[in-house]
Amino acid sequence: MSHASKGQSKHTSHLRKMGRRSIAVSGCVFLISLSLFKSKQDPVQAQVTPVAKVEFARDIRPIFNKNCVACHGGIKQASGLSFILREKILQPADSGEIPVVPGDPDHSELIRKITSKDAGDRMPPPERGPALSEHEIALLRQWIKEGAKWEEHWAYVSPRAQPLPEVSNASWCLQPLDRFVLARLDKEQLKPSAPAERTQWLRRVSFDLTGLPPTTGDTKAFLDDQRPDSFERVVDRLLDSSAFGERWASIWLDLSRYADTMGFERDATRTVWPYRDWLIRAFNSDMSYDQFIIRQLAGDLLPDATIDDRVATVFHRNTQTNAEGGTDDEEFRVAAVVDRVNTTWEAMQGVTFRCAQCHSHPYDPIQHTDFYRFLGIFNSTRDWDLKSETPVLRVPLNRSDDQHAQELDRQIASAERDEAEQVRRVALTVEKDWQPLHPAHAASTKSTKLEIHKTGDLTDVVTSGTVSHGSRFTIDIPVPPSVGRVTAIRVEGLPKDIAAARLTPELGFVISQLRMSVIPPNVMPATQPEPEVVEANSSTAPSTQLSEAELQQQAAEAERRTAAQEAAIVLPGTELRFSHVFGDEMEPFQDPEGSLNRDAAGWGALPRIDRPRHAEFVLDEPVDLPAGGTLRLVMTFNNAAGDDMPQVMNRGRFSISSSQQWTDLIHEQSFTDRRSQIAAVRQQRQSITAVAVPVMKEQDPGQARVTAMFVRGNWLDKGDVVLPGVPKMFGQLPSDAPSDRLALAKWMASPDDPLTARVAVNRLWEQLFGTGLVETLEDFGSSGLPPSHPELLDYLALRFRNELGWSTKKMLREFVLSATYRQDAMVRPDLLQKDPRNRLLARGPRTRLTAEMVRDQALAVSGLLSGKMFGPPVMPQQPDGIWRSVYNQSRWQTSQGEDRYRRGVYTFWKRTAGYPAAAMFDAPSREVCTARRISTNTPLQALVTMNDPVYMECAQALVNRLNVESPNDPAAQIARAWQLATGKIPDDADAKLLLSLYERSLDKYAKDSTASGKLADSPQHAAMVVVANAILNLDVVMTK
Amino acid sequence: MSDCDQHFPHGSLRQVTRRHFLEGCGMGLGALWMAANGFGATASDSIVRDPAHPMTVLPQQIPAQAKSIIYLHMAGAPSQLELFQHKPELVKLNGKDCPQEFLDGKRFAFIRGVPQLLGPVFPFHQEAKTGMWISDRMPLFEKLMDKVCFIHTMQTDQFNHAPAQLLVNTGNQNLGYASFGSWVTYGLGTVNQNMPGYVVLLSGGKNPDGGKALWGSGFLPSVYQGVQCRSEGDPVLFLSNPPGIDANTRDDVVKTIAEINRNDYAQAGDPETLTRISQFELAFRMQSNASDAFDMSRESPETHMLYGTQPGRESFNNNCLLARRLVERGVRFVQLFDWGWDSHGTSADGSLDLGFKTKCAYMDRAVYALLTDLEQRGLLKETLVVWGAEFGRTPMRENRGGVEMRFIGRDHHPTAFTVWMAGAGVKPGFSYGQTDPIGFNPTTPPVLIRDFQATVLRLMGLDHKKLFYPYQGLEQRLTSVKPARVIQEVIA
Repeated sequence: MSHASKGQSKHTSHLRKMGRRSIAVSGCVFLISLSLFKSKQDPVQAQVTPVAKVEFARDIRPIFNKNCVACHGGIKQASGLSFILREKILQPADSGEIPVVPGDPDHSELIRKITSKDAGDRMPPPERGPALSEHEIALLRQWIKEGAKWEEHWAYVSPRAQPLPEVSNASWCLQPLDRFVLARLDKEQLKPSAPAERTQWLRRVSFDLTGLPPTTGDTKAFLDDQRPDSFERVVDRLLDSSAFGERWASIWLDLSRYADTMGFERDATRTVWPYRDWLIRAFNSDMSYDQFIIRQLAGDLLPDATIDDRVATVFHRNTQTNAEGGTDDEEFRVAAVVDRVNTTWEAMQGVTFRCAQCHSHPYDPIQHTDFYRFLGIFNSTRDWDLKSETPVLRVPLNRSDDQHAQELDRQIASAERDEAEQVRRVALTVEKDWQPLHPAHAASTKSTKLEIHKTGDLTDVVTSGTVSHGSRFTIDIPVPPSVGRVTAIRVEGLPKDIAAARLTPELGFVISQLRMSVIPPNVMPATQPEPEVVEANSSTAPSTQLSEAELQQQAAEAERRTAAQEAAIVLPGTELRFSHVFGDEMEPFQDPEGSLNRDAAGWGALPRIDRPRHAEFVLDEPVDLPAGGTLRLVMTFNNAAGDDMPQVMNRGRFSISSSQQWTDLIHEQSFTDRRSQIAAVRQQRQSITAVAVPVMKEQDPGQARVTAMFVRGNWLDKGDVVLPGVPKMFGQLPSDAPSDRLALAKWMASPDDPLTARVAVNRLWEQLFGTGLVETLEDFGSSGLPPSHPELLDYLALRFRNELGWSTKKMLREFVLSATYRQDAMVRPDLLQKDPRNRLLARGPRTRLTAEMVRDQALAVSGLLSGKMFGPPVMPQQPDGIWRSVYNQSRWQTSQGEDRYRRGVYTFWKRTAGYPAAAMFDAPSREVCTARRISTNTPLQALVTMNDPVYMECAQALVNRLNVESPNDPAAQIARAWQLATGKIPDDADAKLLLSLYERSLDKYAKDSTASGKLADSPQHAAMVVVANAILNLDVVMTK
Repeated sequence: MSDCDQHFPHGSLRQVTRRHFLEGCGMGLGALWMAANGFGATASDSIVRDPAHPMTVLPQQIPAQAKSIIYLHMAGAPSQLELFQHKPELVKLNGKDCPQEFLDGKRFAFIRGVPQLLGPVFPFHQEAKTGMWISDRMPLFEKLMDKVCFIHTMQTDQFNHAPAQLLVNTGNQNLGYASFGSWVTYGLGTVNQNMPGYVVLLSGGKNPDGGKALWGSGFLPSVYQGVQCRSEGDPVLFLSNPPGIDANTRDDVVKTIAEINRNDYAQAGDPETLTRISQFELAFRMQSNASDAFDMSRESPETHMLYGTQPGRESFNNNCLLARRLVERGVRFVQLFDWGWDSHGTSADGSLDLGFKTKCAYMDRAVYALLTDLEQRGLLKETLVVWGAEFGRTPMRENRGGVEMRFIGRDHHPTAFTVWMAGAGVKPGFSYGQTDPIGFNPTTPPVLIRDFQATVLRLMGLDHKKLFYPYQGLEQRLTSVKPARVIQEVIA
């Protein structure tokens, strides 16, 4: 094999250099046993390969993927050859030979290689795998002969309209989807199961649609309802129930990695519950799925975005924020952006995109550049891993305030835009009046050293040595000879290396305070820094013993002390009075005019600087400057918001203006009126009770970041710059709009995206049937599993998108009313043999309840469940000592009153210490997107439902309920409890088992009043608590 | 260097999922399935698991003495320069600016600009039997140095706690990967089916920075995740019966549930029902077995004296004693996290001159007791004891925010730090790897985190290349897709 050609990317040649480690693959063993597995155990995988006409996706790609792509694929392209893209195999490889000549197998190098008798020449090489079979070689020859037609992997091709298949028994089918299922069963010569009993279907559909069991009233009403549309009536009632949204929101909470904490070491609390409520409302109002994803990805970019639209964007603010001391805000900002890319793909597109972060996708035609082009779409938001989680939106607690708040926000934004425009006009006209200042001396407190660098006409003050937090610069600048007075000073903060900072920003700065004085000639004081302020607390680091609140208090106290001492410093000469600061961003993290007072906030580049920045400091009135005098500039940098990263100006440049226009501007009536108006409206907005919720916000277009590739996925090693876009194989975003999140979201909701609708219906299907039509919900790519019913998937995807207008409720309605869904779940012996995992759907689904359902059912059955909806998360009972995050004194405080008994969807979700009962039932930690919960059975689950005080409380409450409904009749109570928990009447055998458990327990408690007293007020009731505890643990109760 | 190519399943691109794994229950499917997916190895090499009995003991892939492992993680990262790495040059250079060549191109968590070198805060001397150097902070442990093997050239590429702890415990600095203990129990199972196979014990008052993900199962079936046991309250959550329900009544309840579930199975035929019946029975057995394992009151006063235990209080010393009780009962993987070693010099507790001293005093006694006790009971030859952290500490004094600090401390140091091992299969009284005169960089080839993981796996009888799990199109390994080196020199 020849070497890499020169023209190849650095990346590829790097891979080439890695050398060829042996791949000890025994493809033979694999093949044989997998096909065994396929044919015997999973009929879905057992489709017979037809031989009549070669289809690339069905017949050829599997051969390439199995035998070739490990060396000639997306990562490694040995000899310049890759079997991922068609053009690659039609052009000469490094050897000069053409692998595939369409129509001419005899001149195709591929055929020569795979049929070569020379072991040193044959492909694959013997040490890598066995020779291709006769059959495979024949298929490849035929394929080339027929023109080497290429088909994209099925999932990357738009869904195709599917005719309803012919079936053996059309009358069995209740919904069009049933015909696809039955056609497949016909092919396998299997019969569907009988319809389930009404109670079985009712339990199944109640949990599936609302996450709650049917009440005994629901059951009775349904059993008594003889009308032909009684099923439809149940379904419509359930779809209209407010519990519907609570059930379906849970799935999106996993996908969106929703949690009430930030994650990582400190895992502090964050306020994002309005997003959870948004999800519940979106499901309850049956928001169309296209709008549902558009709002979550880009609600903030919609014209006239509402508070709700902006709350929806919390979807991508659910990334973790690393508030651990000493962490690099740019590193974790980048990590959050990468997570947004991966989550968008996993949740909405069902593709494992992350492979492409380090190299081209190994199997799918997703290029390394595609990852970064896609990342570019998300790389332009304002958030920067700050502890404050800025930018935040103040979301009114009372939804009736939304409109008003929105209007006030609009007024503020519009007034600020007007002001910016007015300032910009002045700035443009006086641009030529700026005179560069040339500092003569510069010194700093702490260990920071300052140097003066002159380049041409410009003079910069540059730091060196160990740059300290809390530094104060004292800079003396001779009054330029041509300048007789001053109206404004311009401060520029620059990266030390402007070109490099564009790709990897440098530490930023915040001017906590800027002061300036004029010193007449010949009164020159010694050039030394202003005296050091002794800080009460010399360290900004948190002590391990202090809570977040105490730390904040301590920091505020230190800041107050520092400010007081700063204030005591008297500048020599006459101090200038600045009144306004105009920064260079529309919506800065901090008010630039903060640089005029003594607190730590102010104008700057927080927490990083990626380009030259500037601000104009305008004097209240012009001041005459004495010829030969000196300007003394004092700047303090006390901002520690950048997580222990000193926010000090590392390169500064200054200029001076004597233009009257600055003074006129700030005294102009329209300007001052607008300022008062903004202040008044802000105050009004503040008076609306609200919570601050982190949301997505785009950077000013002028400040937008540049996106470069990371070399081998390393964010510090930047490669080529890329433009935002979707992967090439999917085409392009429309050219008439910016390639931003909104364009992306609209594209995903359009027929141009082959995946969105398929992934969405597949998820709904999986929730109802236990397994998706594509089992790997997170991976529709060629490394995922193929669909069990490809035609059905396409049919449903198109129906969902077109006829049903993306309506989740309408889609679910068709699912649950289908004959397929209505089947009995009984596992017939023939099905256990032929289709143990029910992929063919010859029986109804029976699955274990989710973590939320386990809790909600116990509360519902016992009568404890609160119907209260929405609001801050609640803290039901949990054992002590679960929460122990570092540097975080937050405590689990058990909720009082009905908040103890809310549905699981409202339980406080802490990433590093999940609610134990939920975690044991496979609830994820939600640190990253979870497309699919894998259901397990462990002894720890049994311990939860048997012993957790929450479940004991439910058993006791259930007994109280029974005592009221059927007092003094153990047999009736048992029957009633069974009915409440399962929706059915117990069999005699089961009732007898429980009754004898009751009697044995009663014997014990009658003799042991101490034990009895711990459970209930009488031995009878105590014994019934034991029975209730048993009932709540039965398999029929834990499954749906 | 990387060699992704060897990790891409050549045979199939089909992603087989955990659901297959679990749902194959009771039909021997899982075994067939796993054999079918022996991508990079012959079928006999790969892990074959019967999902109905996920913790069954499997044979070692490579013969090794170790039956159990006790892994002591000092969360926060204790200073190797105050314990095990003797640097006389650093004494002389104390207070001098750190040479620029060490700082160029480096990123630190808190150090800014040019920091000063910091000499060892505590004096060092040579241990008599081995001639190895040690500080005066571990006088008891010192007596056992002839049983211990040090690696002084550990290296990581993460310098913040949470990501670095994730890397050493799960092989990746990001979340979502399987932990060390879950890999080992997946690969070997556990002897005592009435106890969790992988137990995690915490001390120091806080969870380690990386949180529960450090003992999570990632993409492996969740049955392999570590069970966090507690020394206050129930050792395993919800292990005790509720007040008023005694063991007999619980037994009665479990049997009744089983009978009704069997009726259900007879009617509905769902094989999952059978699995749940066995899980309830296992839970019941675990209630008595685990309670017994965690009942330290059965230990002699001499033992309590040896360990310095205080029953009823959460402490590292208690956890060391519990660790011995657990391996004695056939628990495969016991992992201790002790929080509070992050000696930056920002507070009294977090300083080398104060807090570190206190931590060392109890840690010295606890590890001495553990090794001695294991030895006396003949358990040390079949128990691998590992002591380490997520990184080390800088040879420079920390100057957080660019200012001098109130207490003496060092910043996070990823490029050279120390771990030690003792017991089963480890070369005793041996020291591996050299660093430069100030302990900044290794001067012999560094032991990367994945090398260390491969070595520990080998000592447990597992081959890191053959211990894999197919997920997202990759053969996932603890040691990642990059090549790892087993440090043969430290194996006896």
